[in-house]
Amino acid sequence: MNGSLSAYRAIDLTDERGLLAGQMLAKLGMDVIQVEPPAGSSARAMAPFDGQGNSFYWSAYAAGKRGITLDVEQGRGKELLLDLVARADFVLDSADPGRLDALGIGPKQLMERNPALIHVSITPFGSTGPKRDYADAELVLWAASGPLYANRDASGLPLRISVPQAYLHGAADAAAGVLIAHFARLKTGRGQHVDVSVQQSVTQATLASHLAAAIGHENFTVLAGGPKAKPGPRTLDLSGSGARTRKSKWRVADGLIEMHLSMGPATGGSTNNLFAWMKEEDALAEELQDWDWKTVPDRILAEEISEDDLEFARTCVGQFVQSRTKADLMGEAVRRKIMLAPISSISDLLESPQLRARGFFARVDEGGQERVIPGAFAAPARGLFAQMLGAPTRGQHNDEVYGDLLGIEDVERASLRHKGVI
Amino acid sequence: MTSTTALEGLLVVDLAWVVAGPAIGRALADYGATVVRVESRRRLDAARVIGPYLGGKPDPQRCGLYDTYNAGKLGLTLNLSVDAGKEVLWDLVRKADVMVESFAPGQLARWGFDWDRLHEVNPKLVLVSTSLMGQSGPLKSFAGFGNLGAAIAGYQALAGQEGELPIGPFGPYTDYVGPRFGLVALLAALEQRRSTGLGCWLDVSQAEAGVQFLAPAIAQTAATGVIAVANGNRDPQFAPNGVYPCVGDEWVAIVARSDREWARAAETMGVQNDAEPTWRTLAGRKGDEQRLDARVAQWTRSFTAGHVEEVLQRCGVPAHKVASSADLVGDPQLAARGHFVRLPHELGGESVFDASRFQLSETPARYERPAPHFGRDNEFVLADILGYGSEHIARLQEGGVLD
Repeated sequence: MNGSLSAYRAIDLTDERGLLAGQMLAKLGMDVIQVEPPAGSSARAMAPFDGQGNSFYWSAYAAGKRGITLDVEQGRGKELLLDLVARADFVLDSADPGRLDALGIGPKQLMERNPALIHVSITPFGSTGPKRDYADAELVLWAASGPLYANRDASGLPLRISVPQAYLHGAADAAAGVLIAHFARLKTGRGQHVDVSVQQSVTQATLASHLAAAIGHENFTVLAGGPKAKPGPRTLDLSGSGARTRKSKWRVADGLIEMHLSMGPATGGSTNNLFAWMKEEDALAEELQDWDWKTVPDRILAEEISEDDLEFARTCVGQFVQSRTKADLMGEAVRRKIMLAPISSISDLLESPQLRARGFFARVDEGGQERVIPGAFAAPARGLFAQMLGAPTRGQHNDEVYGDLLGIEDVERASLRHKGVI
Repeated sequence: MTSTTALEGLLVVDLAWVVAGPAIGRALADYGATVVRVESRRRLDAARVIGPYLGGKPDPQRCGLYDTYNAGKLGLTLNLSVDAGKEVLWDLVRKADVMVESFAPGQLARWGFDWDRLHEVNPKLVLVSTSLMGQSGPLKSFAGFGNLGAAIAGYQALAGQEGELPIGPFGPYTDYVGPRFGLVALLAALEQRRSTGLGCWLDVSQAEAGVQFLAPAIAQTAATGVIAVANGNRDPQFAPNGVYPCVGDEWVAIVARSDREWARAAETMGVQNDAEPTWRTLAGRKGDEQRLDARVAQWTRSFTAGHVEEVLQRCGVPAHKVASSADLVGDPQLAARGHFVRLPHELGGESVFDASRFQLSETPARYERPAPHFGRDNEFVLADILGYGSEHIARLQEGGVLD
């Protein structure tokens, strides 16, 4: 057995907006057949690219799947799709709402052919509702869902993450949704439709600050450092988890680190541990020696500690860390339980001793070229995951799928190719 | 319509805290699993003290963050530092299908609940351990919240203006990504258990989950040495691709995915194509992006974000107001999707939380109870699930085991 889901097959009709869902299932051993139009998936046109114009987005999220070409807009192509669906357990799609219905291959039509089918639709705003036909883009979905509002620079400008994220949230939710539907099918024998809205999925990237108005917390502070963040008790961050503190990036000898001077009963201990270290190194100013960060919020509210005092503490910490390296600081942080981390670049990740020790990256072959991509998403769990394969080239598995799975003879396959069906 | 729920009969012991762990159990509860959320009053879950709070009044029992990741669960307060508390947990383990925990790696074993022993006591049990770095490797002991995971996973360098100190993503970003992978791995482990009869131990690292969402950048750097960095809101393939100021401190996101979309947007904005002939192509717009952005902003500044969204969407150009919490609760789309679920809360008023992120047509999510206040379901869990008699429960109560 190669992977926990190896008994199942999915027909994957997604483009770049849903590509990851099938990949998560393929990593678990499911036979995921990625269907591309004969001209190639639009996901192959997603940046970044190698020197030959091959998409690393495709490399990353089509890996593990088999790939076929099929023109579902032709009558014969649609028949072939229905034949595939009859032999499948799942269908994944990310077409614009209503488009597959118009082609006669919507969820209802496919489930008529295979009543046990689980069909997931990943759409920007959902298959229903007044905005379902909205034009979409990564940045626009990030705006529509909450996290962009919360993430400001000092000028107040909302900023996204520069490696696109929104559709990945929806696709990952889709993978979970179809497996939950699968457990219902085990009881009833019947399939169903699963509907994923990327907008709803992305609301989960706000640490629930998007719920503030809904529960009547009108002045809940979410601005990370914009011009409106006034000093004083109202902007206190008690979480230590990065929601509202204004200073969390510190320059050190060889780059940047991430660290909040967290305060309050839940997380103040971390900053106490940092101060204990500073004291050992004779780097803790006299005025700060009696600070207990667990009680700092109370002292601020009691006006015993001012914004100037806090700024003084930040300056001392900044001086303490600036001559140390990321590795030194990380080592002490682990030893002393200080919540601090080096800020990795992508090349740091590839060289990370931690990720290496855990065998996280996989080297796969994609049409004769080596690609390095993240591997299994849980460890060690023997047998849960399949061996990683590279992303398919266009039509790489046409013969296998149309010949072996559907039993179409060579001559007819040549004819289908000639007519541009496959 | 069927009365079946997908996961009915599944018993989950949820020892996790904050976001990454509890989010897994929340999804299971939506679809019919019995999820017992075990916590202690002595060590507050940070999710109870981060806010936002009902009516803006700080109260660990009325915190929106806790409520949304624990809706539908049963609440059991248990002191795991005493033997009698551990005994209760062992009794739960014997009956459970799944245990989810997010303690520092090794902590569970120090309490005596190491994987070998758990597996021996209940071979069917699937254990999900979610942590920042994973249960093995030189940095396994590295502890902290997801903002540190976001640093280690590379995200803190990936949001910001080009060439400036990055600002990083909002909040503990890997906490949002980790449970997506943890949930799928868990469901696969339950499928595997159907044939093997055996549970397994799933070691989910939030940092690794975060790197899964950077996979294209990983493949790029490994193959070419080019390293992705923060680049404002710009995109290599689209222009404009930005966030622009509107009247009243509002912002709007606008993207032109093609030259045709730009032509339509430009017409709406009153930009004469003859005046800017180079902007007709993506290459021309990318080469003059600062001026392009300034011209778009000059137009958006005269309108509300809602107006810009409406007129651009009407001609098929991607645009959306940068939505605040108040915008989201007023969003007709989220309302039509039933996104904000409201249930009466036992301590008064309502609990409001997010709906499930997938809608199942035949076995939809059920929202049977809000997240628990402290010890809300102690009696039910101890008497009905574990079969303890009233004297036994009273003894635990008096001994401070249920704090």
